[in-house]
Amino acid sequence: MKKIVIMAMMVAANQLSAQTSVNAAMFGTMEARQLGPGTMSGRITAIEGVISDQGKTMYIGTAGGGVWKSTNAGASFKPMFDKYCQSIGAIGINQKNPAIVYAGTGESNMRNSVSYGNGIYKTTDGGDNWKKIGLDSSEHISKIVIDAENPDIIYVSVPGPLWSNSKNRGLYKSINGGDTWEKIFFIDDKTGCADIVMDPSNSSILFASMWQFRRTPFSFDSGGKGSGLYKSTDAGKTWREIKNGLPTKPFGRIALALAPSDPKQMIAIVESTTTGLYISSDAGENWKSQSATVNVTARPFYFSTIAIDPKDPKRVYRPAFNFAYSSDGGYSFTDASYDAAWVHSDMHALWINPSNTNIMYVGTDGGLYVSLDRGINWQFNQGLPVGQFYHVAYDMQEPYNVYGGLQDNGSWMAPSASPGGIGNGNWDRVGGGDGFWTIPDADGKTVYSEYQGGNMYRSEIKTMKSEFIQPQKTSKEETTKLRWNWNTPLLTGAKNPKNLYVGCQYLYKSIDQGRNWKRISPDLTTNDKNKQKQEDSGGLSEDNTSAENHCTIFTIAESSLDENMIWAGTDDGNLQYTLDAGNTWTNVSANVAKAGIAAQSWVSSIQPSQYDKNTVYATFENHMYGDFQTYLGKSTDLGKTWKRITSIEFTGFAHKIKEDFENKNLLFLGTEMGLFATLDGGENWFRMKNNIPEYAMVRDIQIHPVTHDLIIASHGRGIFILDDIRPISSLSKELLEKDVYLFPTPDMTLYNGKFGWGGPEVSGGWGTGNPASNPTINYYLKQRLSSGKVTVEIYDEQNKLVQSIPGTVRKGINKVGWNLRSVPPRVAAGSTKMDGAGFTAPMVLPGKYSVKLIVKDKEYMGSVNCVHDKTNKDLSEADRKLVYEKAMQLQSLYGTLTNTIDSINLYQTGLKVDTVAFSKNKNAKTFYDELQKVKTELMATKKKSIFADEERIREKVSSLYGNFCGMEAKPNSTQLEAIEVLQKDYKAQEDAFKKVVVKNLPKNPQLKLPKGF
Amino acid sequence: MKTMKMLVVAMLLMSGVQVANAQTSEEIINKHIAAIGGKDSWNKLKTLKLEGTIKAQGAEIKLTIYQVDKKAKRENIALMGMTGYSIVTNTEGWNFMPFQGQTKPEPITADELKIEQNDLYLQDEFITYQEMGKKLEFLGKDDFDGTECFKFKMTDKNAQETTYFIDANTYFTLKQTNKIKVNGQEMENSMVFADYKSQPEGFFYPMSISSGFGEMQVTKIEINPTLEDSLFQLPKEGK
Repeated sequence: MKKIVIMAMMVAANQLSAQTSVNAAMFGTMEARQLGPGTMSGRITAIEGVISDQGKTMYIGTAGGGVWKSTNAGASFKPMFDKYCQSIGAIGINQKNPAIVYAGTGESNMRNSVSYGNGIYKTTDGGDNWKKIGLDSSEHISKIVIDAENPDIIYVSVPGPLWSNSKNRGLYKSINGGDTWEKIFFIDDKTGCADIVMDPSNSSILFASMWQFRRTPFSFDSGGKGSGLYKSTDAGKTWREIKNGLPTKPFGRIALALAPSDPKQMIAIVESTTTGLYISSDAGENWKSQSATVNVTARPFYFSTIAIDPKDPKRVYRPAFNFAYSSDGGYSFTDASYDAAWVHSDMHALWINPSNTNIMYVGTDGGLYVSLDRGINWQFNQGLPVGQFYHVAYDMQEPYNVYGGLQDNGSWMAPSASPGGIGNGNWDRVGGGDGFWTIPDADGKTVYSEYQGGNMYRSEIKTMKSEFIQPQKTSKEETTKLRWNWNTPLLTGAKNPKNLYVGCQYLYKSIDQGRNWKRISPDLTTNDKNKQKQEDSGGLSEDNTSAENHCTIFTIAESSLDENMIWAGTDDGNLQYTLDAGNTWTNVSANVAKAGIAAQSWVSSIQPSQYDKNTVYATFENHMYGDFQTYLGKSTDLGKTWKRITSIEFTGFAHKIKEDFENKNLLFLGTEMGLFATLDGGENWFRMKNNIPEYAMVRDIQIHPVTHDLIIASHGRGIFILDDIRPISSLSKELLEKDVYLFPTPDMTLYNGKFGWGGPEVSGGWGTGNPASNPTINYYLKQRLSSGKVTVEIYDEQNKLVQSIPGTVRKGINKVGWNLRSVPPRVAAGSTKMDGAGFTAPMVLPGKYSVKLIVKDKEYMGSVNCVHDKTNKDLSEADRKLVYEKAMQLQSLYGTLTNTIDSINLYQTGLKVDTVAFSKNKNAKTFYDELQKVKTELMATKKKSIFADEERIREKVSSLYGNFCGMEAKPNSTQLEAIEVLQKDYKAQEDAFKKVVVKNLPKNPQLKLPKGF
Repeated sequence: MKTMKMLVVAMLLMSGVQVANAQTSEEIINKHIAAIGGKDSWNKLKTLKLEGTIKAQGAEIKLTIYQVDKKAKRENIALMGMTGYSIVTNTEGWNFMPFQGQTKPEPITADELKIEQNDLYLQDEFITYQEMGKKLEFLGKDDFDGTECFKFKMTDKNAQETTYFIDANTYFTLKQTNKIKVNGQEMENSMVFADYKSQPEGFFYPMSISSGFGEMQVTKIEINPTLEDSLFQLPKEGK
């Protein structure tokens, strides 16, 4: 019996696997546009260069955008890590064989919003291919040091998990290029290794700084008995604490550097109750206090970089809150100049080119800068689109704008399309500080933005006149203070966009743009007093920048079906709703917990269903308790019972759930490690690729109600737009089983498009193109076609072939663009100039066109309506007809002219068949020369240089023809007459040609012409 | 019950994975060579003439390629009434592209010549790589255009790298990416192959070759035609 059951299941399973499962590959041709921007970039965590090519080859590690490579010293960069974890802590290059590079994932700038890693990766071909080689549970890696003489010896410092105890911290060593790892130094499960330094003159001498640290959602603690500075003289076998001259323990984080040109000279910034800079001139045995400027001592947990010039032991650099340099070994510091450019504060990485130590690169919270004068002046690199957005919003303009706030980079807006494409120059700043929610008002003129801790403004977009609108505590609130999250929710209603909501522990609503507020809830949080001691946070160095504010509302969602139905979620596990616009609230958090979702989780997003008031989806995340599981829940009974939705595809804790508004079974999930989609309401999920890094930190997802664009905010790669996702929405199970399917093509507007050609940004920097101005013709192939062709043919209403377009053969959805035109005319040979007419055809007239998809030998029929552009006031439908007729008239003239030139060419070729006889035959020569005379009047034959114009009749016809083909207005008064002039000019030459033939042909009986001529 | 079913599915999937892993790179290459018609049939190929078109916006660009195995290659390109060409031989390389304003043929750089000379072999690279002194590396499975592929990298004597994607199902090459270094700067160009057709000699040749600037559809293929030496020499006025 059991055997039969298993057999049956195997058959079922086979059928199951035979069925077409949905995966990202099917939408591969739908590629997201990466809007960047590069104008404000994101946190750079590691910079390393290849010494043997003088630093032309560089690798950049980022907080949320993976690894980027330049082979031109930073003039341009390419992402190299799009298939892996995007948070990078450290990079190491094998300088003997620089194709070998290591990337440690999980940055170690331990701020509240820091992401985590999943191990160390290695490439042996300069970044094209990577392999994970261990340290999977390290979560954070701060440095990779490679023995220059024997580059198979590698040391990796692992601070380890930020949110939990771990045995996986400490200093790791490999002696075989990363094949195996040994933990060679470990203090305890609270203390990791923050920094490792090797003496370049003796690789057995190592210095390690150990660091005890911990975050909770509501506190940060840097320092403790585990922290200390250690030295090994036997390549890490044994370690000895060094403290002579250092301040009284406990220590916090220690930043460490050694002068490569004089390795006994060392420098350290030691976090303690008296944080300061210490120097040693005897290889760390004895230390003395040196400098303690604000920039040296600022936020040691966050600014952990200090460096000494490779050639000059007295030249010290401290990239921190500002960039400071010292010429006296750290005794005194000067801040970098802002003459060249403002340099973004908060610095984490520095690479000094050893081949030319005037050249250095610094990584900041706002991107990469280069200095050519030893760090005094800096230039910003505008080509690294690694901004860390928290949220994204859109407006209803045409083209619509996107709005979003970035970690340490304010709030910005940009159009989704723009003449020439979207470049850095298209972005406008609408708010400062750390940016979060940035929401346009429905009035089209106003934007709401905020900086950390709920400091929110209403701004007039045109003038940036801004008013502070945060609700204040009044006598009605029985509390000591309002608690605003670092990332305070601030948004307008999904049903009624005039409703503006913000939340601290209470929910507030305004119906007049924040001029008046009404509190519409009691304290919706757990109000746990133990989680509200933020003022004591930081550990040895006080550090509370609202990042640890807790017991706050984190998520608000108004139902798109009913403005009185509002959901709110908190950062301490509460999920509540009201059905009467806030008079009464129901807490469903206990029901959520029953579904197996951790009780104290942050409610990271709520999606009240757009199809059913009783259905709601929510994401929860518990990573601040060391739990990185993907929590997604669904309730169909207004929160009474919940089902946890899981998938083996999921990676990373969950930020956002979004329901499509056309297909209720299409959902998108954004996590700390990827974007996922389901087409069956959550049963089966797949990872979205679509030109989006596979492990992108997806913080927010929107779908534009008019364009159907999927808009994604990533925390490390800026904004992505996947244009028009209707092909995904329309996929059904039945459709997926078809071998070939031609999707219905939406109407196409007859115009030249809206935004120009969308080429690269003229000023350099990051840029992306515009969406297609018209829909493409889309078809689905169940399998890639390995033999045979795909062709798309367009026919007019008379069933005349308009154009035949080659199609792609990939598995899944294929897209073919039609330029709305027929076929350009043939160009005669023999000119010294290219002729543009060969690429130009008139736009078709409005009407219904047939679309014939030919896959191998099978045909599939569809149609498309081409419609007149009603928005164009310069062109009536009658004008359009006139323009078309005139263009066709010119095309016909061009064709006649081409035939005449062809005839001349044939006569001339015929005359010269026997070159010897030709040279002796006077009549032949006369005939030839007279033909040539006509030809030189008909088309350009002399000037070869592209910089020298030569216009003959053909060039003039071609030019006017081109004008008519591109015309989107009634022809001007001269254009119509110009056609007649050209017709006359041509006629004169045609007559001349005929005369030449009549005169010369009888005198050249030897002339042989092709048959039928 | 559901767990059981999942288990069975997982087992089936795993057994599939193991089979794939068990395949050595040598087996994959042998299957690839068999799929494209076998070594012997390829070795019959000594000269080749291809005619093809690239369609763009309804207009056609015509290409004609002449190639003598291991010796010389000429590509003619005709558009908008003009014709240009490129010639690469064992010793020299020339370009004449009047569309870009060139008024006479110009020599290509030594770096470019080295790269172009890699293309003089008519046979499939997996047949000739050892003879050419290329290093081969198997990079496992990867996805190309939604199709599961085996990925290989070849490195030639000049350290130029080419990555191949071989369809795990048909064993045809779907894509080839050349990474070239010019003055230390890396550049990449890719070609995508489709519409494999069996030739009378027994080997399969792609009738569709796409690159960044469009898709060439092969309209005519001539195997072992007689090709005059003059095709690969510059016209006198050019030199």
